[in-house]
Amino acid sequence: MGPERPEQQVDVPPPEVHVPLPDEQPLELILARNLISIISIAALLVDSDGRIVFFNEAAAEIIGAPFEEIGVLQQDQWSARYGPFGADGKPLPPDELPVATAVRESRPAYGHFSVRAESGMLEIETGAIPLSGPAGYHGAIVVFWPLPPAPGG
Amino acid sequence: MRVQAWGVRGSIPTPGSRTAAFGGNTPCVQVTGDDGSELILDAGSGIRELGFHLSGRCKRLHILLTHLHLDHIQGLLFFAPLFDPEAEITVWGPPGRIPLRKRLARYLSNPLSPIEIRDLPARVAFEEVPPDGWRLDEFTVRAALVAHRGSTLGYRVEHSGASLCYLPDHEPGLGTSLSSVPPSWISGLGLARGATTLIHDSQYTDEEYAYRRGWGHSSLSDALAFAQRSRPEGLLLFHHDPGHDDVRLRSLAGQATEEAARLGIDGRVQLAREGTAFDL
Repeated sequence: MGPERPEQQVDVPPPEVHVPLPDEQPLELILARNLISIISIAALLVDSDGRIVFFNEAAAEIIGAPFEEIGVLQQDQWSARYGPFGADGKPLPPDELPVATAVRESRPAYGHFSVRAESGMLEIETGAIPLSGPAGYHGAIVVFWPLPPAPGG
Repeated sequence: MRVQAWGVRGSIPTPGSRTAAFGGNTPCVQVTGDDGSELILDAGSGIRELGFHLSGRCKRLHILLTHLHLDHIQGLLFFAPLFDPEAEITVWGPPGRIPLRKRLARYLSNPLSPIEIRDLPARVAFEEVPPDGWRLDEFTVRAALVAHRGSTLGYRVEHSGASLCYLPDHEPGLGTSLSSVPPSWISGLGLARGATTLIHDSQYTDEEYAYRRGWGHSSLSDALAFAQRSRPEGLLLFHHDPGHDDVRLRSLAGQATEEAARLGIDGRVQLAREGTAFDL
């Protein structure tokens, strides 16, 4: 029997969120968006303020809505909707997420937890890669992939 | 300000009768302020002739390098003011992990050069561009990293309400659709938006671009699509492919005019020629 899936415990906020973005994104983010928009692994892009500024079609398939519909989300908005959640079903503290480690320590970081997908709660593995350029830190790419259900789970 | 192109060719100089009309020198654009201040955008082979023009008349100037590919720096060694002990020259360039002077010294040193960078007679300073706009004499200059291979800058030079945006090596359409992506996600758009004149890479025909995607340059269609989004008053297509002779470039100029009209691009659209000069 696999680990127990956490229950959904958080109210989902409404989808209409419009977060203003700078006039022009840093090149590192622009190129990262171009890249993740054409790869088939689920990926999202986080800016230096922690906002989820883009996610690709593979990610949209998992969460059940395209970026064009959801738009830019603050990190707490994303967490409330999709997680990730710990074993107790509560959203994980932002400081414990791989993206936070990637930013704090300027290195790729890895994690394993649950997210709220269109199909229900889903266990995933995730990796975060910081995007640093000559002018400093600009954000991170976060890739994630679902884990197969545990036998009997 | 007065703008004059001394080199408009990309990649490698192409001297000869087949390129005489548009010119064969690699990128160099002179910007002269009303009080005689001089900015030089890139130091391709075109800077050699400019050096003769400035020699003895200008003792203080700024060279703004977009990046350090050879076609943008190869003229430095032949720029007369660098050999004038009374000249005071600041070379600005893209940020990098290695100081700009040391990166340029790879070219200005043995065995590629008989002169070491430290032996240049002029008083030369090497500066990486600041992240925000800055003043250079009577100009306000802004630089930003843009989509090309390696650390590459675009520049916007402003003076008395006029603006020149210089994006000679730029591939904003790589991996995206310039017609539909939100504007804040287009490389270089913040620099180019509403410029009085935009100088932009259009090295390839659309057919050539299909085989050179990712090389860091734009097709004619992408250059025009970028202009459609950035809305400059005038567009000067630049960095001509060394394989395009005058006959081919004239044909592309006609194609550019037709395509610009179809896209509803206002203002003048033309292919840059060596010697092209205009006031802003």
